[in-house]
Amino acid sequence: MSWIPFKNNNPKKQIISKTVERDFEREYEKLQKLEDQTKKLHKDMKKSTEADTAMSKAAVKISSDLLSNPLCEQDPQFLKSMTALDTAMRRMDAFNQEKVNQIQKTVIEPLKKFSSVFPSLNMAVKRREQTLQDYKRLQSKVEKYEEKEKTGPTMVKLHQAREELRPVREDFEAKNKQLLEEMPKFYHSRIDYFQPSFEALIRAQVAYFTEMHKIFGELTEQIDQPGLTDEQRERDNEARLSELKALSIVADD
Amino acid sequence: MEPIYCTVLPGSPDELGVPPEADKTKHKQSLAIEELLSTERGYLNMIQLCAVDIRNRLKQKQLPDFDLEGLFANIDDVIDVSSKLLYQLELMDTENPQYLQALSDTFLSMRSELENTYKEYCASYSNILILEARYREREELDKAIQETITSTAPHTNATNLSFFLVMPVQRIARYQLLLQTILKNTEPSHPAYRSLQATVDSTVALNSNINEYKRLKEVADKYNKPENLTLMDKIYRINTHSIAKKTARLSQMLKHEAGFLPKTEDKEFDALEEYFLALERGVADLQDNVSTFVKHFEEFLSRRPHECELDIETEVAFRNYKELSAILHKHIYPKYMHRLKSLVLQPLCSLQELFACPQNMIRKRLHKLLDFEKIEEKRRETGSITYEEQEAANTYQAINTLLLTEMPKFNGMATQLLIRAMETFIFIQRDFAADVNHIASGYLQHLPHNKLPDYTFWSWAEGMFLKEAKSLQQISQTFEAELNPHFILPLTPSSQRRLSELTKRYKSEQIYQASSDIKGGRDMDLSLSRGELVAVIQEMDTKGDKRRWLVEAGGNRGYVPASRINPYHPTGQTASPSPAIVDEASKRHSVVVVSPAIESPVLPSLQVFAAYDFSARSIHEVSLRAGELVTVLEHHDRQGNPQWTLVEVQGQKGYVPSNYLMVVPVPGISASSRKT
Repeated sequence: MSWIPFKNNNPKKQIISKTVERDFEREYEKLQKLEDQTKKLHKDMKKSTEADTAMSKAAVKISSDLLSNPLCEQDPQFLKSMTALDTAMRRMDAFNQEKVNQIQKTVIEPLKKFSSVFPSLNMAVKRREQTLQDYKRLQSKVEKYEEKEKTGPTMVKLHQAREELRPVREDFEAKNKQLLEEMPKFYHSRIDYFQPSFEALIRAQVAYFTEMHKIFGELTEQIDQPGLTDEQRERDNEARLSELKALSIVADD
Repeated sequence: MEPIYCTVLPGSPDELGVPPEADKTKHKQSLAIEELLSTERGYLNMIQLCAVDIRNRLKQKQLPDFDLEGLFANIDDVIDVSSKLLYQLELMDTENPQYLQALSDTFLSMRSELENTYKEYCASYSNILILEARYREREELDKAIQETITSTAPHTNATNLSFFLVMPVQRIARYQLLLQTILKNTEPSHPAYRSLQATVDSTVALNSNINEYKRLKEVADKYNKPENLTLMDKIYRINTHSIAKKTARLSQMLKHEAGFLPKTEDKEFDALEEYFLALERGVADLQDNVSTFVKHFEEFLSRRPHECELDIETEVAFRNYKELSAILHKHIYPKYMHRLKSLVLQPLCSLQELFACPQNMIRKRLHKLLDFEKIEEKRRETGSITYEEQEAANTYQAINTLLLTEMPKFNGMATQLLIRAMETFIFIQRDFAADVNHIASGYLQHLPHNKLPDYTFWSWAEGMFLKEAKSLQQISQTFEAELNPHFILPLTPSSQRRLSELTKRYKSEQIYQASSDIKGGRDMDLSLSRGELVAVIQEMDTKGDKRRWLVEAGGNRGYVPASRINPYHPTGQTASPSPAIVDEASKRHSVVVVSPAIESPVLPSLQVFAAYDFSARSIHEVSLRAGELVTVLEHHDRQGNPQWTLVEVQGQKGYVPSNYLMVVPVPGISASSRKT
């Protein structure tokens, strides 16, 4: 079939069986997906904790701005309430910082480390592929010479080609074997690797919200108003706003 | 038929025995009462016609851009009050001697209702007129209105709505006149006289209040709306009058600042203003900060790390985390957000909006105060001021009074709202924490290490990851390991020569071989072909990049990628001929006589070929052409050195380097067929 312009001659002999190739691809695909998902999880966790920190800082700003407002000088009760609130917010921020640090150490950094294995893996797979291409090329060359007339120069060339082929084939087989062994091992390692991370996430949240409940619970006890339902609160707000709007100095639209 | 006029003779009593003067008065009184009642009926009829029939017709027409509510204001309330009044007045027969008392009582008891309803209506009336005028300019609206009026109330000959809408304004003032007429025609000795008098006074006061209310409202409306004027509007506003006004204010202000004039201090007002400003700042900051807080929470909510697919659904910790997070995201977090927005953020936004108008009014007050000061000055100096100046002074007083009355209320109520908002926030936070905890603790129970106290758990977790980091590193290294450290490409003769050159000047550890063709891209990059030998001079470039090495290849120096060259360790291969051997060879060959070649037996299935070209450099050597079939005579030289082989080729005999020969298994060739 010399009229078909193949750039790389595909060797007549099958180099690796289809099943082996399929197995290899399947394992590698699983790892590629794992790579994507770990990267995504890493990004999500990072952004999530960033938003969390920002929230906590915004909460502190709520109370500290009120505390620095001149109204506090006018009304001692107001000052007392705002001081209590500010203390609470700052304490919560400290707890939040702790929570974020824990997550950083037990979730985000481990994720990063896990992800860092993938470049090496991808490089190894690429090198195997390169070697495979070399192998195929040299194999075709040998087969080409084997089919030619057995002249002296041909014999020499054939011998040379075979000498070239041998180390390449050995190299490929070594690489292939190694990857076929190591890839599943690495994939499997994720289960035990990530277990502590997810435990840590739940634990960190429980610890944080326990504190939050305690701190804000204490604050609610200092408020005279009994707990109202949400509808009551809404109606209350509406009523007060209406009263304000009824004043002449407030324009009515 | 009863006579309705009294007898002609003055002074003579009529059949009833009542003096004629008294009769006349009584008669007038009855007339007045009757007028009160009948006009009230007529009035009520009219406004009902307007409010019900006309309004409904107009509503049905569904006219575009038509403010029915603004046009009709609170006329429904007016109708209610009027109906009630009429009902009360008709309860008793007018001839009843108690009637006057009943009438007074009715008016007095309904006083506040009348005042509140009519004051609203009257204050809205100017707006009603404005709207009506605006609509009459639009042809289609005007036509529609006319049509409606003529079809509903043809008997009135009315051509516009204000015919009807002005009636309450007129009516409330009319009560005063009607009642005064009744009073005038009542004997002071009448038992109900005092009550009637009180009623009249009350009605006078009522009207005065209504007028005052109307005026204040007009002042408020004029000055409290922040003016959204375009630049052009502002420019058109400038005329000599306004310039004079502003200049006067400015000079007054400067006099204050320079100390020429004492500022009119109003400690009470200043205190109110100070509080107001602090409150305004507080509400603005709070609204801003809560808004930011909510925004960050929304960002937090948008991230869903628990939805990653690591293919570890069976793992218990992950499963619990995923379920917990899903519930939090679906139920708990949205509920929290909703409460924050509706119970804290929303009221704060509404509250903040209400500050604009009072703030504007305060500003205007200051301007008017400056005007006022000048006017007072003038009054003190000249004793008289113009009508406009008096008006301006009155305006200042009006604004000032209004602010002094209402600002304390505003400040108080707004502060209350602020405090409420913060209290609500605290409650919401507590509830949120309770909700999350409730669910999360449940899931915590399912975790393997839940019994560990916190400190122990964190130490364990951190320790785990340090250990894991090590094994990950090992895995990386496994993948990175070069599996072909000794992968040698066979040498061409030129490579042989290159090798000998390089080994002259470099250590063998520095010799590397290119594993593939390298095409140099940048300046100072070398291009190599596959298998070419180089010596590594430096394992990094001038910028410190360790992936680019400085090498020498055949007299050229340049950079190549480190990953494409491998150390050249020829293992188990015979060393290439070194210059030393050549000298030795000539030494050897000069001493010993070449013995006749013995035909070495060649294995039937192997043949020996020349692998490369070789040029003989002495008479003891023989030249080879690659691919030539040779006959091996001896596998060593005279001194037993296996690096040289004695061969016969093309009828010539001589020594050639052993590694230039190739032994090739060739099937089916016997020893007898040899090329000579």
